[in-house]
Amino acid sequence: MTILGEYALWIALPVAIWGMALGFTGGRTQRGDLVLSAERSIYAVFFLLVLASAGIVAAFLGDKFEYLYVAGYSNREMEFFYKVTGLWAGQRGSLLFWALILSFFSSICVFQNRKKHREFMPYVAAVLQTVLAFFLIVLLFADVNPFERMAFTPANGRGLNPQLQNYWMTIHPPTLYLGFTAFTIPFAFAVAALLNGRLDARWIQLTRRWILVSWLFLSVGIIFGMQWAYRELGWGGYWFWDPVENASLLPWLTATAFLHSIQIQEKRGMLKVWNMSLVLLTFLLTIFATFLTRSGLIESVHSFAEDLKIAFIFLGFLGSVLAGCVVLILYRLPKLRSENRIESFVSRESAFLFNNLLFLGAAFAVFWGTIFPLVAEGVTGQKISVGPPFFEKVNFPIGLALLTLAGVGPVIAWRRATKRNLQKNFQIPIGVGLLVALTLWVMGARHGLALVTWSICAFVVTVIATEFWKGTRARARIKGEGYAVALYHLVTRNRRRWGGYIVHVAMVMIYFGFAGAAYNVDVRKHMLPGDQLEVVSPFGHTYTLTYEGLSVSIGKGQRNLLWQAIATVSVEKDGVRQDFLTTEKRQYVTSAQLMTEVGVASTIQEDLYLILAALDDVDGVIAADSQAQGIDLQVLVKPFVSWIWFGGLMLALGTIIALWPNADPRRAAVRPEPEPEAEATPAPAMAGAAD
Amino acid sequence: MMKHGRFMVGLVGVATVVSYLIWTGVSETMVYYLTPVELMARVEADPTFHDIGIKVSGQVVPGSYARVKGELLHTFIVRDLVDESITFPVEYRDALPDTFTDEVEVVLEGFLRTDGVFEAATLLTKCGSRYEATPEDLAG
Repeated sequence: MTILGEYALWIALPVAIWGMALGFTGGRTQRGDLVLSAERSIYAVFFLLVLASAGIVAAFLGDKFEYLYVAGYSNREMEFFYKVTGLWAGQRGSLLFWALILSFFSSICVFQNRKKHREFMPYVAAVLQTVLAFFLIVLLFADVNPFERMAFTPANGRGLNPQLQNYWMTIHPPTLYLGFTAFTIPFAFAVAALLNGRLDARWIQLTRRWILVSWLFLSVGIIFGMQWAYRELGWGGYWFWDPVENASLLPWLTATAFLHSIQIQEKRGMLKVWNMSLVLLTFLLTIFATFLTRSGLIESVHSFAEDLKIAFIFLGFLGSVLAGCVVLILYRLPKLRSENRIESFVSRESAFLFNNLLFLGAAFAVFWGTIFPLVAEGVTGQKISVGPPFFEKVNFPIGLALLTLAGVGPVIAWRRATKRNLQKNFQIPIGVGLLVALTLWVMGARHGLALVTWSICAFVVTVIATEFWKGTRARARIKGEGYAVALYHLVTRNRRRWGGYIVHVAMVMIYFGFAGAAYNVDVRKHMLPGDQLEVVSPFGHTYTLTYEGLSVSIGKGQRNLLWQAIATVSVEKDGVRQDFLTTEKRQYVTSAQLMTEVGVASTIQEDLYLILAALDDVDGVIAADSQAQGIDLQVLVKPFVSWIWFGGLMLALGTIIALWPNADPRRAAVRPEPEPEAEATPAPAMAGAAD
Repeated sequence: MMKHGRFMVGLVGVATVVSYLIWTGVSETMVYYLTPVELMARVEADPTFHDIGIKVSGQVVPGSYARVKGELLHTFIVRDLVDESITFPVEYRDALPDTFTDEVEVVLEGFLRTDGVFEAATLLTKCGSRYEATPEDLAG
């Protein structure tokens, strides 16, 4: 099975190159047989990559430790689940997994369009095969072949790093890869449009769902990563501005900008060059993110390898794609002229443009901060670096401006907003925002940044809630429906618009949670069994924590676990007994390091977060009498953290609503020039009815 | 009726503000990233180099680690990766990452006090081999 997989990987490369060549030739010569062959080659590559991946999984399950990759990430004792997910546990496997997902998405795309949009498909197939061929070349020639065998067979493997033995860690990378790879489809259509000259909004309409799917997986993948950091890394944070975190944020920022700017092209025929550039930039950044994760170019806790060969191959590919696309855009420049111009400074177009500028500004700042050490070293020979303070200083103001626009954009009029439009839509929300700030101030909140954030949150929520309320009420009156039914019909009639609003609310929830960090409480204490500790939370709750003792057990429950020491803490909140919390240190067979497991009690207000910071020991031996075992306990109280995770769910919900297929047949058939949607301008009929 | 001028002013304004944020952000928060040898040379040449925020990477001297109970205060000695004679003591007040052992390579951010103790505000561990096994590792 594994040998078969290895051969499959070798066969996939010529097939991909074949498909690439036929796609480009077929597109130019309009020869249907060549195009068909190019499209079928995509199915073939997918099939071959399934075989290759199955080969790796089989090697994991069969404990084939002669394979370097298997020996590095597995051992005989590992659970079935982690053996299967070993496919993407390390660099070699993840690159194969990346290619597998891309070929899967490519196959879906080719299948969906087997009878439609034939003017795009030859080039789409060619571009997809180019990207696949690139990843196959990396896999086969950059010393990262997952099928590499050693001259000897070790008796057992090293096993998986215990930090990666976590539910979130097994789903976080594949979710991000789904997001990264799905964006290749819009990119392929964009290049196809540049090649075939159909430069209206068609390529955008055809790939709108792919863009949303990609954005959904990127967003969720990032949030899974935060969840993992919060639960597993044991320092109470969820974001560290680590290069690899930044690398996943970069394409998210540009993709979010793109999601907004394509609406201007669809509605007003503007920003064509801009959108082409954004799709190209986002695609390059997804590759850059993969590259940054998988090469040790920039120091990071995530960086897997420090191999320069793979860096040169990646940079070469990024450079060629960039050069090729810039040439194509310049060549097509006459056809990419705007059909309209911006009429007013105060309009939705302009709000979207500022949104785009800010997203790109944030992306540039994050990019610059991430590569700054490299640039500084290259230019001055001096190693200089910037850390979290830099990213926070730059991104907090930009982030707040973007949050404000999330409230402005949805209701400001297209083309030109009148004074009346502004007054009607913003008077009340601004009032609510100010009122919230004032109330919080009176209640004793003094952290400026948090106050501003919560105030803007209130503004945005009021704007969007008012929109929902007006629309629902108007519909209920006109159609005589109940409010729940009216709301349902309102949303399903224009999923894209209302789904988008739900995503805006989700972002408000996430910001709301972020701002809670301003009120984190951090207490440390050395404790003996029976000792008590009182912690007062920002909400005025008093937690009385009693350290009950430490129980040490030898290798129970989980395989590969050598021992675990569990500290039990009983919790009273305002005098009321709560569930016990435990926090532990673990030692795995597979790693010299200790692992800390934190204990978290989460409520909608705040998280109580316990860290077993250290165990008393004498020369590495802990006390035999567990009643005398002292520990260092770190207690954090973290307000509103759970809002970030709820926000993530809400974001997924809104995006799914936006990309759900519309039952309405009028919209299923895409016309070259779409009619402006009736509800795109803020529903004059409804607003009228609401007055 | 294009108010092109006003619009461009807005765009240029946003671009300027973002650039300004990046520029001041870098100049106010950047830190030198040095090896212990470089750090010692700097301090020798220029005593005002104490108390300046820097980042330094080195290796924890095996056996030098100690903990002060209850305060989450960790002390250890770091030496240069090449010239092992260059060392300095470190104080770090926070929970240690799980990857910390008393022989690991660390990246510290903080400053060198005039008493010669490096006060670390952040501590990262560097383990290139943590994720990627080589045949030599597996044979041993």
